[in-house]
Amino acid sequence: MYVINNAVKSITRNKLRNILIGIIVLVIAVSACIALSIRQAAETTKEDTLSSLSITATISYDRTSAMKEMASSASGEDMDPENMEEGGKGSFDRGSFDFDALTSSLTLDEYLTYTEALEDGDSYYYTASLSLNASGDLLPYGTEESSDDETEETTADEEDEDADATEMPDDMGGRGNFSMMTSSSDFTVTGYSSYDAMLDMFGTDGTYSITDGEMFDEDSSALECVISDELALYNGLEVGDTITLCNPDYEDETYEFTIVGIYTNTASSDSGFSMNDPANSIFTSYGAITAVEEASAEAGNVTEDSDGEETSAALASVLSFTYTFANADNYESFAEKVYDLGLSGDYTVSSSDLSSFEESLTPLETLSTTAMWFFLIVVAVGGIILITINIFNLRERKYEVGVLTAIGMKKSKVSLQFLTEIFIVTFIAIIIGAVIGACVSVPVTNALLDSQIESSAETQNTLNENFGFSADGIPDADGGEMSGSGKIDRFSTGSATEYVTSVSSATNIYVILELILVGLFLTLISSLAALISIMRYEPLKILSSRS
Amino acid sequence: MSILKLDNVCYQYDSHSPMVLDNLSYEFEAGKVYAVVGKSGAGKTTLLSVLSSLAAPTSGTIYLNDEDITKIDKYEFRSKYVGVIFQNFNLLPHLTAVENVLLSMNISGKKFEEKTKKEIAMELLQKVGLSEDEANRRILKLSGGQQQRVAIARAISYNPDIILADEPTGNLDGETQDEIIDIFKMLAAEGKCIIIVTHSPDVAKAADEIFALKKSSGKKKA
Repeated sequence: MYVINNAVKSITRNKLRNILIGIIVLVIAVSACIALSIRQAAETTKEDTLSSLSITATISYDRTSAMKEMASSASGEDMDPENMEEGGKGSFDRGSFDFDALTSSLTLDEYLTYTEALEDGDSYYYTASLSLNASGDLLPYGTEESSDDETEETTADEEDEDADATEMPDDMGGRGNFSMMTSSSDFTVTGYSSYDAMLDMFGTDGTYSITDGEMFDEDSSALECVISDELALYNGLEVGDTITLCNPDYEDETYEFTIVGIYTNTASSDSGFSMNDPANSIFTSYGAITAVEEASAEAGNVTEDSDGEETSAALASVLSFTYTFANADNYESFAEKVYDLGLSGDYTVSSSDLSSFEESLTPLETLSTTAMWFFLIVVAVGGIILITINIFNLRERKYEVGVLTAIGMKKSKVSLQFLTEIFIVTFIAIIIGAVIGACVSVPVTNALLDSQIESSAETQNTLNENFGFSADGIPDADGGEMSGSGKIDRFSTGSATEYVTSVSSATNIYVILELILVGLFLTLISSLAALISIMRYEPLKILSSRS
Repeated sequence: MSILKLDNVCYQYDSHSPMVLDNLSYEFEAGKVYAVVGKSGAGKTTLLSVLSSLAAPTSGTIYLNDEDITKIDKYEFRSKYVGVIFQNFNLLPHLTAVENVLLSMNISGKKFEEKTKKEIAMELLQKVGLSEDEANRRILKLSGGQQQRVAIARAISYNPDIILADEPTGNLDGETQDEIIDIFKMLAAEGKCIIIVTHSPDVAKAADEIFALKKSSGKKKA
């Protein structure tokens, strides 16, 4: 006890020395508090967002690895001298590359098999889309009545093109053919396996809502649908009416859907192509799409190309299967287990939600990494300064050590007293530093974050400009050949990314505990040299030299 | 019966330096004042360092109540059995007079049941002639004589059996010197063994016994 009393007396009676040490520790503490708070804010933001994030994932063919394989084929064994002579440099044996793999897709049964890898709380849904044309009096929204003929002509013209079209490269689990994606059909009819699949649109955060009638029965195979209010108004349709849609490749093949509901879409806009216009989106159940597909296959209609070759005109839907996860751990688990259930290594499990989320945290995490480096440097430099001060401090107090040991105080207790002094000064400085750090950490973090985001945005703008895109990601009018707003997504920091721009709280109990640990660490490290010196001092030598 | 006994004690600072204490044998008894005298360099202060366990003899043995003092922890020996009054006082300047005394009492770990340690410390300081006001002053605000008195009070604060004093009157005027000698005599009367290293003939005259140290011939121990 007297050791502590003595330490306190020593502190209060050598104010200047201890204030100097206190100020140095205070600067270290404030800097460390801000750095640790930034890291904590990044982690808290990540955890909070992640816990509330609805993670969805899809299984898709890994075209990147396929292309790599293609590249290695081109530069590998296939590039024998004979081929070089015949095919010129860089040619590769196309026959050895499995192009079918690129267009292969999983079936619904396969997707369902992999649901065994889901954990409690996870779920799945799937949709199937068909492109159908208007038939009879029905007009797609955004077209004039007089354009009906044009539409028909266009459709007729495209029949030939469609016949030659290659199969669709599938990165969405599609199983249709490429013609469906390239033809400008009037309507996209999407069948949903469950209402869950429509939550993005009709959920509390969605932009869709039923304004008349009700949603179709998700379990039914009846040809019931909901249409947009714009389409309904355009054609004078009401709930209970029927609309007739036809196979774009075979107009005589028609399907009659009953309107059970009319929805409104607050984000509706005209895209220029009728099929792409949100107002021409028709929603129905997955069972209804399957029923249409089966009926089309049974009809067995064919089209004939210019060479007289017959091609099946049967409708084929594009399947999209989505897995939803309760949390990120479940997603990670699924991404591993699914391969044990037989998924080929050519396929990958990916989540755009998680990717977007991780990208949104980029500036904050960059800032967090920088802050941690700053923290380490501050602690290292601060530690060196404190060690130096303590060594000089002890040289000044050598006489005190000599007297204390000469009158019988054990060296261990002298060391303890010195350690206590440093600890008390450090602890007080750290508490004050934590209070100051807690007050300034949020504004400082947000200011640094703004700067980081600005820097990221500038980099992105430069990237966009170099690729001929305008700053907002829309191609410039004179942007050259690289046109199309979607291309901006090729860059990892696409302008569509919504970065985390601010944090609301940063310093918490963990940061305070970490600061105290840092304080203890600094106390021990900075005292170590001093304590070693004390243990080596001999009182007689000290007192004799003073005499 | 001797309280402290030197048995062929030798001391040299290192193996290349001459012998400072050469085969000293002597017995100190309780209740007496001893004056250790000798010329400069005779080894008076060295003897005091050896007796207080600040230095270990090169050879020979020192007995405390017939027990070899090397068997006793040297910190415990200094904090409980001997009280040392240094020539330069060696008080802690950032503490007050009473705090210096209290510190020694705390280090000794001895229990003082009748009064608080602070009360005892104040009484001791008054006993050696310091007022309450002076007792609460920091060391640097006291005169040499007052500091000497504080050093004495500190040395006797934990009631050791032996008091070792190195030139305790060296910096004092004649009147104060007499007062200090009286204090030592009073302590001896209480049963303490007082060993004073001194050049002062007055102090030597006041001592019960004189232990004269002759300067070593400079021979090294074989």
